[in-house]
Amino acid sequence: MTAPAAPSEPLVRIRGLTTVLNGKTIFDAMDLDIPRGRVTAIMGPSGTGKTTLLKHITGQMRGDAGQVLVDGQNVPELSRERLFALREKIGYLFQNSALLTDFDVFENIAFPLRQHTRLPEVLIRNIVLTKLQAVGLRGAASLMPAELSGGMARRVALARAIVFDPMLILYDEPFVGLDPIALSQVLKLIRTLNETLGITSVLVAHELDAIKQVADLVYLIANGKVVAQGDPKTIANDGSPWTRQFFGGDIDGPVPFQYPAGDYAQALGLGGDRA
Amino acid sequence: MSAQPHRNVITNALAQIGEAGLFLLTLLAAVPRSLRYVRETVRQLWFVGAMSLTIITVCGLFVGMVLGLQLYYVLSIFGGTAASGTVVAIAIYRELGPVVTALLFAGRAGTSITAEIGLMRATDQLAAMEMMAVDPIAYVAVPRYLAGLIAMPLLCAVFCALGIFGGHLVGVTWLGIDNGTFWSNMTATVDVHKDVINGILIKSLVFGAVVSLIAVYQGYTTPPTSEGVAYATTRTVVASSIAILALDFVLTAFLM
Amino acid sequence: MSQRNSYAVGTGLFIVLGFAALAYLATQTTSVANTHQGASYTVEAHFANIGQLKERAPVKIAGVRVGQVSSIMLDPKQEAADVKLSIDQAYSHIPDDSIATIFTSGLLGDQYVGIQYGSSKKDLADGGTLARTKPAQQLEEMLGKFFGAGGVADNLGGSYTVKARFSNVGALSVGAPVKMAGVAIGSVAAVHADPVKLDAEVELSIDKKYDQIPDDSAAAVFTSGLIGTQYVAIQPGGSPEFLKNGDEMVLTQSAMQLEDLIGKFLVNGSPAEKKDAPAGKQ
Repeated sequence: MTAPAAPSEPLVRIRGLTTVLNGKTIFDAMDLDIPRGRVTAIMGPSGTGKTTLLKHITGQMRGDAGQVLVDGQNVPELSRERLFALREKIGYLFQNSALLTDFDVFENIAFPLRQHTRLPEVLIRNIVLTKLQAVGLRGAASLMPAELSGGMARRVALARAIVFDPMLILYDEPFVGLDPIALSQVLKLIRTLNETLGITSVLVAHELDAIKQVADLVYLIANGKVVAQGDPKTIANDGSPWTRQFFGGDIDGPVPFQYPAGDYAQALGLGGDRA
Repeated sequence: MSAQPHRNVITNALAQIGEAGLFLLTLLAAVPRSLRYVRETVRQLWFVGAMSLTIITVCGLFVGMVLGLQLYYVLSIFGGTAASGTVVAIAIYRELGPVVTALLFAGRAGTSITAEIGLMRATDQLAAMEMMAVDPIAYVAVPRYLAGLIAMPLLCAVFCALGIFGGHLVGVTWLGIDNGTFWSNMTATVDVHKDVINGILIKSLVFGAVVSLIAVYQGYTTPPTSEGVAYATTRTVVASSIAILALDFVLTAFLM
Repeated sequence: MSQRNSYAVGTGLFIVLGFAALAYLATQTTSVANTHQGASYTVEAHFANIGQLKERAPVKIAGVRVGQVSSIMLDPKQEAADVKLSIDQAYSHIPDDSIATIFTSGLLGDQYVGIQYGSSKKDLADGGTLARTKPAQQLEEMLGKFFGAGGVADNLGGSYTVKARFSNVGALSVGAPVKMAGVAIGSVAAVHADPVKLDAEVELSIDKKYDQIPDDSAAAVFTSGLIGTQYVAIQPGGSPEFLKNGDEMVLTQSAMQLEDLIGKFLVNGSPAEKKDAPAGKQ
């Protein structure tokens, strides 16, 4: 930890982030702050780069310009060792859980501990069982990932993400494909982790109802910029055309129904010349 | 796949070789970092090497038996069945041992390496390791590569031993070639350097290095879809087989 | 953890098995198995013909391996092959009048030197000579021929050329060895047909080391072994004059086909039966 930022500073501070992938502008001089100790939700139409944004925060991807400051360190400029040291303090919940299929549940959670520490086996066992208890799956310790349901796998992945008691957890689409019970369980876990451990949480999701229950702050991103931000309960009423379409679920609006294409009449061979 | 710019077969193959070569450099550069994952290398040696023993043993035995039988028929025309020990040993050490072992290895271990790494890519396990501050090249790719490299000569030696045994079983035990003649002709002709070192060790080390590289490379660069994994697995077998047979010719011309 | 240990044990077993197989192949199935350890002593033997005897070929007494052939040289003055035998010190009580013979193991097998004990009370010493030898028994010799096969001589010391005419060279090709007493002394430099005399003119390039070949020596085209390649064998004559560069060898014997030889052998052996057969029918 070099030069830790003051507690009042946002934990993640993105300034002027610009990223072009395959000729398509994903982020266009984006500014975004993620406050400490809060649950921040990032929403937006599909394909606007919400997951890509998480990857920029963890340094899995680098932008073409701009700063991504995490706890005072500019991620794109970190050396491999410094980046790995930073990642040990960040938990990441993958959309498909990404459990290591070679190992059982216990070893999956113990994996980061075994890789980065030389703790005695008893201590590893205690830590793993504590985390499993926290997600309610202590009894599933000896199951293989293939034997888990989607909700269980996500909770195991969550237990793995918090095994080092990180300062920041990134959730990539944590609610997708969960039944209402599992969804409530995951919601409660996110809230509990945030409240009891003070872990800063960032979630990328589409489910507005769920977000209203957990998030303190919502960013709506589209066209490579933040188009709206605010409290989840009131953001839908801020009057911008983006929020009206997104939260109203309108078919057409700033996000067009038609994928950009050439002139329709011309494509059908009905050129204007003949009219 | 379709997103790739159109390239013809030759430039495509050259690009693949070039990319695989660069990937090899990445692997070699990561070897020091993977030294802390020795356990993982040992575990992969178990999957790649020890788990291939069954197929290697059975195939080695049958190749030796077929060789013993064919040689008996051909050599008995000249009344030279005494030479069958020599011919079995030389054929197996110089060509059949390394080549058939490498082909079997590509089919058994190579495909499983490709499929495993490909699925790890498709299910974000490699990205998850990155996020847990574990370098997937050092933890996943290098141990499998090293395991393949170490396992090939050992598997080849087992194959050859079983091949000799199979040839002996058919020639001596069943068809009645004199036991002493079989061995003495073999020991009189087979040379440690030319046959055992060049054949079993050098050839199979080269084949092991190439097949493992192809398998790990194909797995690591798999498009993260289920059809991508299937495609990569097929490519491992095709590319390995071509590489083995082409390199065999080059090595034979070079070593003999 | 127990799971990890089982991998380690299994992998360890695999590695040990692999190296054991390699060590077995390298030591038990190769010529390493034939190289004996320990002290040895060297004796010489002169053979009129060594046939296909090679260096490192085994030396056996009563069928038991006691040593190996360490070198083979041609002694041009004696028209004989000088073979050095390296014998294990453990077998140091060989009578000095023992007989060394070149045997063949099987029809296509390699040749080895067998020693049969004599009756002398004196043991053969290091550097001693086995005076009594029997040359290799060649297939051609059994069928009425004289000389055997070996490797091709190197012409590093320069060579001289002599010519020989054959009515039939068989499958003799350029590069084939020229041998005397079974040892290669040169090679065939050219084979061409003479359109006038309707025979084959063969140029033999012979190593300068062997410049004392009598000029009435005979040249013959032989086959090495049953299915081997053909070569030119030189059978020394008795003239005091030696062959010089450009000379032509007058006495030649053309290639004889294996079929002819076997045919002759069978025909010669069968008359008695032929006589009997009709008699029985009558």
